[in-house]
Amino acid sequence: MTLTRRRFLAGTAAVAATAFGAGACSSPTTANPGRLTLWYSTNGVSEKVLGEAVRRFPAQKLTPSKISGELNQRLLAALSGEAYLPDITMLGDGISTYFSATDRFADLNALGAAQDEKNYLPWKWQAGRSPDGFQLGFPIDIGPAALYYRHDLFAEAGLPSEPDAVAQALSTWDDYFEFGMRVKEKLPGRYLITDTKMVFTYSLAQERQKYLDRQNRYLADQSQVRRAWDRAVRAFQMGLTAGYAGSAGGEGVDRLAAWNNGKEVAFVNASWITGNLKQSAPGTSGRWHVCRAPGGPGNQGGSFLAITKYCPDPQGAYEIVKWLLSPENLAAAYLELGLFPSSPAAFDDPRVQAPEEFFGGQTTIEVFGKIAEEVQPVYFSPYDISISDTYTDELTNVESAGKDPERAWEDANTAVERLLRRQGVLA
Amino acid sequence: MSVNRKWRYAPQYLAIAPFFVLFAVFGVYPILYSLWLSLQRWNGVSPMKFVGLENFRFLLTDTAFWDSIGNTLIIWVMSTVPMLVLSMLVALGLNSSVRHKGFLRVAYFLPNVTSIVAMSLVFGSFFSNEFGVLNWFLSLIGVDPVQWLGDPWAIRIAISLMIIWRWTGYNAIILLAGLQALPQDVFEAAELDGAGPVQTFFRVTLPLLRPVLLFSVVMSAIGGLQIFTESQILLGNRGGPEGAGMTMVLYFYNTAFADNDFGYGAAIAWGIFVVVVLFSILNWRLVQRPPRLKGDVR
Repeated sequence: MTLTRRRFLAGTAAVAATAFGAGACSSPTTANPGRLTLWYSTNGVSEKVLGEAVRRFPAQKLTPSKISGELNQRLLAALSGEAYLPDITMLGDGISTYFSATDRFADLNALGAAQDEKNYLPWKWQAGRSPDGFQLGFPIDIGPAALYYRHDLFAEAGLPSEPDAVAQALSTWDDYFEFGMRVKEKLPGRYLITDTKMVFTYSLAQERQKYLDRQNRYLADQSQVRRAWDRAVRAFQMGLTAGYAGSAGGEGVDRLAAWNNGKEVAFVNASWITGNLKQSAPGTSGRWHVCRAPGGPGNQGGSFLAITKYCPDPQGAYEIVKWLLSPENLAAAYLELGLFPSSPAAFDDPRVQAPEEFFGGQTTIEVFGKIAEEVQPVYFSPYDISISDTYTDELTNVESAGKDPERAWEDANTAVERLLRRQGVLA
Repeated sequence: MSVNRKWRYAPQYLAIAPFFVLFAVFGVYPILYSLWLSLQRWNGVSPMKFVGLENFRFLLTDTAFWDSIGNTLIIWVMSTVPMLVLSMLVALGLNSSVRHKGFLRVAYFLPNVTSIVAMSLVFGSFFSNEFGVLNWFLSLIGVDPVQWLGDPWAIRIAISLMIIWRWTGYNAIILLAGLQALPQDVFEAAELDGAGPVQTFFRVTLPLLRPVLLFSVVMSAIGGLQIFTESQILLGNRGGPEGAGMTMVLYFYNTAFADNDFGYGAAIAWGIFVVVVLFSILNWRLVQRPPRLKGDVR
């Protein structure tokens, strides 16, 4: 048979059509059928512990898969398509987004989670539960917020420098601002407030309520928001903010440089910043201490593991999750990645109790652990990140573009109301 | 007989089918789906809720959206005009007899093939307010530091500079190709008639280069309406202080993928579509207009 052009074209088309048809007919529901796929984001779970879990649970054929970029987007896409889904997945502090879709997940309580609840911080455990009692998330890490400060510079300025003394002197935000004025006087050109966003974020993190209640209704009383706002504006008006606002994430080059050259003598942040601090300012090792943050205990950030309903072996998956996030393994993850354990039992682990050279021999887990235990349960709604961003955007306008604070407040409120109306929260 | 006729061209249709099948799956379907999505309220996981034209009604009164159109156009003009002038100068330079032409062409083109993300990170350090290279340089020549990522206009300048840096070389190469294709006899005639270099450039080179310039303008308009990465890496999803770096596409991205508001995101995408259509009509009219030559050089 000679190969004519027509036959060639027909043949190619036929092959292409067959390939296309075969490819289109079936896409698996889970990413690796016959195996348990676990999605985690970069540095979200300890890879050492994951590797051990793979060996420990050979029957389940655990397949960890690191998702670079936005895990949440990948998960939403996979859920919409009901294809290539993970069996176990990490969820961030936006976990409440999925409370309206609990039919796509496994209730951990049905898998024996109720017995394990006691080992974890109650407020964190509750944050992984939907308003109607569906246990969606198993806690990984939390973000207790503390005051990080340069004890050498505090001492140099003749200010209290031991953690207990500093915590006592700076128990409220007002104390902190007054202290800031003294620092400014004695150590000109140095700051202990990164930007207005820092004050707003951590002040609000200390409140019992944020913006919405657990039924996703906008709270009639938003005075806590106004309180955080006023504090942030006040810090700016007193000239206490370093004004690194604007650059992405507030962790631009300026702030890193300020850590290195001692311009930023103190700041309030959740525990997860420790890794950045160590990495970005190794030269300041030994000169930092941490203590309770002004204003009280608060939490910012943290994540969970959840099991999807597409998982063929939820019980097996739960055993893996439970082991991965056992107090001992949480302690290991804390040492490796600085993921702060959500289980108080991990705080007593001898490995994490060792004095830390970077913090001048202080055992920081004692400070963070105490804060973690005192955090109030607070509901983090699916809209919280957008709302907070709206307020901090306007604070940035006040701080770096000279906008009138009262106008900025009104603009922020209008924007929040529009956002919530669009989402159907407000009528 | 008629069946035979009907299937006569089947192989040809089959041969062109791959494009149309792929286009239908990855082009037509998403477009239609986004239109459907723009009529819904959807957070990505819960069931969709049909809201009719609600999203579009909202879009028309959304100051953030109108601001983002304004920002996009401002940044586009601020980047395109200096970029084209620079490209022209570079192209003229490369067209005259200089050494190492090949090397220079590659060097000018290099920014265009550099990863935007890597570039934006470098520019982030470059523009940083207090410890940035640019402010250090300004302080050397006695100029006060500028809050490059804090002041709304400085932000727009910073983004424009990044775009200029990236696209000058690309357009210079295009213009250079245009310059080299121009007929030499016209230039000889101009020289014989006693035209100086400046006169030759404005009276001969530029009018002849018009189609190439238009191509550059159209291409930069297409790119300019899609400015996204530079803003996002430099300033984050929210566009920085006063939302100065909030472009149309960034606003769309932020709404759909950060706020998980896919219905409204789709509506914004259609808003962007309308803006792009208006621009295309403008461009089209610009290209269609017959060249207005004072003295026909040919």
